Order: sequence, then C-alpha cells, then structure tokens
Amino acid sequence: MKIVILRNNLKNALDAVSHTLGDASNLPILKNILIKAVGGKIQICSTDLETAVVRGVAGKIIDEGSVTVPFSVFNSVIGNIQNERIDLDSKKMGVLIKTDNYEAVIQGMNPEDFPIIPKVDKKDEFFEINGEILRESLNQVVGAAQISELRPEISGILFDVEPGMIKFAATDSFRLAEKTVYETEFKNNFERGMKFIVPLKPIQEFLRIMDGKTPVRIYAVNGQLMIENGDLELISRLIEGQFPDYNPIIPKNLTTEISLDKNELIGALKLASAFTSKNNEVRLKITKDSKVVEVYSSDSLLGENKYLIPAKISGEPVEVVFNWRFLLDGLRNLESDSANIGLQGDIRPSVIKTTADASFFYIIMPIKS
Amino acid sequence: MTIDELWQKALGELELQISRPNFLTWLKNSRLVDSKEGDAIIALPNHFAKEWVEAKYGKIILGILRTEDSCIRKTTYIVDGAITRKPEPQREPEKIEKQLVFNELKSDPESGLNPKYNIKSFVVGSHNELAYAASMSIVDAVGQKYNPFFIYGGTGLGKTHLIQAIGNEIHLKHKGKYKVKYVSSEKFTNDVIWAIRNKRVDDIKQAYRNIDVLIVDDIQFIGGKEKTEEEFFHTFNALHENNKQIIISSDRPPRAIPILEDRLKSRFEGGMIVDISFPDYETRVAIIKVKLQERQENLEDEIVGVIAQKIQRNIRELEGILNKVVFHKTHHAHLFNSPYVEKLMEDIVQQTAQNLTPAQVIKAVAEFYEISMVEITGRGRKKEIVEPRQVAMFLLREMLNMSYPFIAEKMGKRDHTTAIYAYDKINHALNENPSFSQKMVMIKELVNKS
Repeated sequence: MKIVILRNNLKNALDAVSHTLGDASNLPILKNILIKAVGGKIQICSTDLETAVVRGVAGKIIDEGSVTVPFSVFNSVIGNIQNERIDLDSKKMGVLIKTDNYEAVIQGMNPEDFPIIPKVDKKDEFFEINGEILRESLNQVVGAAQISELRPEISGILFDVEPGMIKFAATDSFRLAEKTVYETEFKNNFERGMKFIVPLKPIQEFLRIMDGKTPVRIYAVNGQLMIENGDLELISRLIEGQFPDYNPIIPKNLTTEISLDKNELIGALKLASAFTSKNNEVRLKITKDSKVVEVYSSDSLLGENKYLIPAKISGEPVEVVFNWRFLLDGLRNLESDSANIGLQGDIRPSVIKTTADASFFYIIMPIKS
Repeated sequence: MTIDELWQKALGELELQISRPNFLTWLKNSRLVDSKEGDAIIALPNHFAKEWVEAKYGKIILGILRTEDSCIRKTTYIVDGAITRKPEPQREPEKIEKQLVFNELKSDPESGLNPKYNIKSFVVGSHNELAYAASMSIVDAVGQKYNPFFIYGGTGLGKTHLIQAIGNEIHLKHKGKYKVKYVSSEKFTNDVIWAIRNKRVDDIKQAYRNIDVLIVDDIQFIGGKEKTEEEFFHTFNALHENNKQIIISSDRPPRAIPILEDRLKSRFEGGMIVDISFPDYETRVAIIKVKLQERQENLEDEIVGVIAQKIQRNIRELEGILNKVVFHKTHHAHLFNSPYVEKLMEDIVQQTAQNLTPAQVIKAVAEFYEISMVEITGRGRKKEIVEPRQVAMFLLREMLNMSYPFIAEKMGKRDHTTAIYAYDKINHALNENPSFSQKMVMIKELVNKS
C-alpha cells in the first residue's frame, strides 16, 4: 500500500474512529486501526466487536493494499506532524510515515488478522433522513436512556418506524422522552412498520462524529444496524427484545396544568439546586387560585430557598417533589421558550411539553414526599 | 454422540489449531444448534464472530466435523444474541425508594404481565374463594376447564391482581409452553384503532390469534366501540374454537354491561362466571399484613385492626392509607398509638367526604338511572323514579352523614319520615338482594368519580 494524505483529513478520520477501539485483553489487534486503500477508496476502521466505525478519507492512492497499526502511537505521530502532506507506505507488517523532513516506522500486525467488519445487505430496507433533523431528534431523547444490565431492552433508543412517522423514545424507568419525526422529513422504503432498539453507545458515538450536512441512511436487518452518513459508516448490533409498551404511562387525566416561561424555570431549578444535597429534591407548589409556581428546596445543613415564577395555572392545587436534574433534562429539550407542565397529583407521572411543538414530550415520575 | 458432545470435541481440536486469544474471542459462546440432513448449523453470539469464523475457520470446522460425523456436508452460521445473555438475573427486590418509577414499564413487553402480581401475595378469603379455586384449576388445565373465565367485582378488589397472577402462574408452571397475553380493553381498542389507521388490521388479527391464553381486563370499556367489539368478537371466536384459554374481567356481570353487543354477552356467559365481593374483616387484616410484609414494615395488631375496621370497600385505597400510616409511624414515633391512628383514619375518611356535595350525589344517582334532576327531586311516584330517589336519600345519609330533615329538604321538600323510611328500605334491600348491592357499588363509584 502506498498513499498520500493531507494531515487534517487524516486527523479527522482518526478522531472518528478513536472511541470504538477494543480493549486488548483477549485480542491485541483490537487496539489497532485498519487503513485500507482498496477499490479507489481510502478507509480507516476500528472496532470493539460491538460497534465498528469505518471512515473514508480523501487522498491519493499510488498502490492499493492495507495495513493495521496500533492507534495510540499512530495518532500521536500524526497529531504532532507539522507538514501538510503525509506519505504512508506499508513496510512488512508496519507502516512508514514520511513527510519532507520526517520519517517514522510503526510496527503493525498482519491486516489479514483484523476483524472482518460485517456488511449489511444494502438491498434491504432503510430510511433516509436529513442529518441535522436526526441529530436534533436523537439529542432530545438520548439523555433519558441509561445502560442497565438488568433490563437490556431499555438500555437503548427505540426507533419506531412507520410509513408516516418515526418515533424515537428512551427511558430509564424514572422518565421517558419521545420525539416524533413526520413523513415530510424523511424518505422511508421500509415496506412495513418496524421497531428496533439501538444500544446507547453507538448512538452517542454517532452523534459525536456525524456530519449534519449530509443525509443519513439507516439500515436495520437481522439484528444488525448500519448507519451511513456521507463517507462514514457505523455498524452495530441491535438490542434483542421488545421495548416496553409505554402508552399506559402517558398522562391522560391531568389534574393541574401549568404554562410558564421555560428559561425562568430552568433558572429557578439551578438556584434551587444549590440547596439540595445528595437527594436532588426540588418541590413545586401551587396553591389555590394562585398565579405563581413556587420552586422550593431545603437542606437541613445548608439552608433553604424559594423562587416564585408567574404562570398560567388551571386545575387543582398541588405540591409535588422532583429530582431537579430530571426536570431540567426535560425542559432543556423543549424547542420553545414556553413550557407546559401537566401534573396528576404527587405520585403519578407528570408530562412536560410545549404547545409550540407537538412532536416532543417528556414524562417524569415524582419523588415521594 | 449428542450435538453438544460433537461440538465440544470439535472445539477441543480447534483449540489446538488456532491461537488462544483468537479461540477465546471468536469461539467462546459458540454452539452447534442442529445437524440435520448433513447441514451443521452453528450459532455465534454476534455478527463479528459470524463473519470471522465463517471466513477464517469455516474449512477447518467442516473438516473436523466430517471426521466425527461423515453425514455432515456443509455448515451454516447464524447469529444468536441470546447465547451470551447472562442467566436471568434475580428480580430486583421491590424496594420502596423515594424516587418513584414507571411501574407499568416493569411489565413484560411480550405478555404484558407485571411480575409484581403473583399468586402468593393474593389473599384468599370467603369473598374470593370461588374465583381463586377456579383460577387455580385453569392454571392446571389451561383452556380445558372454564373457558371463557369471567371475573367481575367492584374496583380495587383484586380482579387485576388475580387475572395477572393466573397469567404469571401459567408462565411459571408450564415454563413458557403457553403464549400468554394480558391486555386492558383500552390497549385492545388502541391496537384496533392503530391497525385501522395504518391499514394493518391483518397484523393485529395475526398477533391476537397466535395467543394461547388471552387475558382482557375491564372489558366493560369496549362496550359501544363497534369496530373494536367486532374485532374482539372474531378474536374471541377464533381462540375459543381452538380451545385457547380466555380470561375476562369486568366491574359487573356480562348482562349488566349496557352497551355490549348481545352476541358478546352470550359468548361470555358460555363459560364460568364468578364474582369477587368485599373482603370480610379477617381477610382485610390478612391483606394488610401481606402488604406490610411486602414493604418490610411492621405495625402492631391493634393498629392493623383499626385500619381494617375503617377501610372496608376498596383494597387499592388501602395501599395509600398504609403508606400514610407508615409515614406517620416513622415521623411521629412518640405519638404513635392506636387512638392516634384512629384519628388519622377519621381525617382521611372525612377528607374524601368533604369534597362531596349533596348535589353531586343526587346528580350521580340521577345519571346512573338515566333520569333528570327534576324527576328525582320531583313529585312523581312511578317505580322507575322512586327507587333512584330512595337510593339518593340513602347515600346522602351514608356517605355524607346528613340529618334526615336536611335530606328530606334537599330531596324536594319532603317530610323527614320519608327519608327515614327510604334509608331503612334501601338498607334492607342491600342485605336481602345481592344484585342490588352490586348495583349500589357501581352507583357509589359513580358518586366518588364526580
């Protein structure tokens, strides 16, 4: 293999593959990246055997071939090279890095020993969506997911794909976020509706390295996921099992409804957080015929505080305690300056949404007071 | 040689031919699933392992397998994520943590059953003996004995607990042999609506007809939803014809669900119908003790007695009250004794009564009997109007503890002896006539909802 690459292109590609290296306890080659110059394309791959990232790099191929070298050494050499133009040349099992005035040889391994990245049959079904829309949608729900050994089926994001809409949902059993994207915003050629659960880690990884300006194609077939985004490919397994049916927890009989300024409530929660120690408890209080919501927190050692926010309120007076971090997560993901909070008393789920955008809601369980 | 032994042998040889790290990474958790007609099917835990083993060791494996079993001509590789799945972890103990969780999400998505409803925590008393016994024989002989099995009774008396427990028990006892599905009638309705909207009615049909045990909760709510009723009717028939078990719950007997189609009613009546009534005092004490045990809390027998005395009609209500009592016990430990609890209970009982006005009671009764407010308080003496009027007077006395003269005044400026007569008459009827007391339960629920 012999190729010529510009430094910045190579650096970007290395960054993209840097988080999916394996731990080398069994197989040392998982600490390596594979550099492939085959079929007129240069690609860099890494995998931890759960997820694989393949990133294309622009460059000039003189001789086709491939090499595999340890990521850490290669990355620190490339990171510190000053020249724009870098020549890479395979040398026995390693690679020769050459610029006008610098030369290094890094020991590698046999590229034949690098894991084979599974291919998804492209003829199968996929949907295509604008990168920016996908990024925003996933960001709105990803915070509600949490990895759980006990319940693998909720340690990921649900993709509920129907001909007319796609729903993304996530929950850690204390709160749940759902975002809907409508058919005008994606192209779907799944023949029928399907649901699959994508593990949290590849989603976070994808959000980190994706390019919002290029459309994204998502394939899901036989328990396997492939995301294509320009010259980036991410391959991962899907979580087996069924995402729980969360319809029953969506509040239907709200007893109190509050409409207020989102940013003011966020400010109040941050203030209140100063007076909550480990328990994170913040109390929202609504008295009869009141036009304000009281945000209160106290700690026997630190002191107490209380913040009054003007609000439109209808329904019953109520006092309800929340974990302020959970509340804040929900509010931050609203795409509007106003927030509508619907309560069903102090032990049943509450809902946060905004009348300005019906495509997102966030359900949260209170803390027992 | 079994296929497991065959695979063990093959692995033993492979281990000699490839390096140890490679062996551990790629072939740990591999399994020979089947070898029929010369095709050995090998399952691997993920796609990476499948690609690798197939490409790199495919030939070696085929060679080894053939020397052991000459019938094998080829190998097929599949991915089975379940291989690496750890053995089912012990369910988390139900801790009472302050941060509340979505309990509904604990339900098994496949069956819809919530594991918290088990048969062990179901307290059996004279009020539900029959229902319990029938349930147990259904667990033993699924689909053969009582089919359909129809349970009715007021809210909060344990219908949902019992029917879910049947489902869980069938799962346990027959080790997943039967496909159990629990749905509320609301969920069933939503499924039908969704299917119609997305033109996927066949999918729904398919999904519901592949079930061995169908459990439908609160069937009264599908009354009047024509398409849902029809879909349910067909599902019911399809399952029933194939001897699949059907279990249904409702807050009243089939005949008394006003807007349910007749063909459904008669279907429901074709099996076994049992009711769950109110638990007696001893059973209530037992229930409270079970609930306390679940919470790992303790209360003196005297206090348990006080609570059981006060809460007679709704077990679900009991949970909230127990929470409150336990809270007071930890926070006001120095004051905590049975008079204190008695006082606490009075407060709770009054609180619910306080929110109720006489007008609400009368209105709810009128609504139940489908007569107007004018008629119920008017002068008419037709039988259809007299009964509701007397029921209203009875409830004003019992629920709001109002004086007879005041009741008579409210009910259209009558004499107070009329109110006394009405109260006694209804009271008598309640003791004599079980179907009338059933009706009364429904009326009270309506009143409480208003």
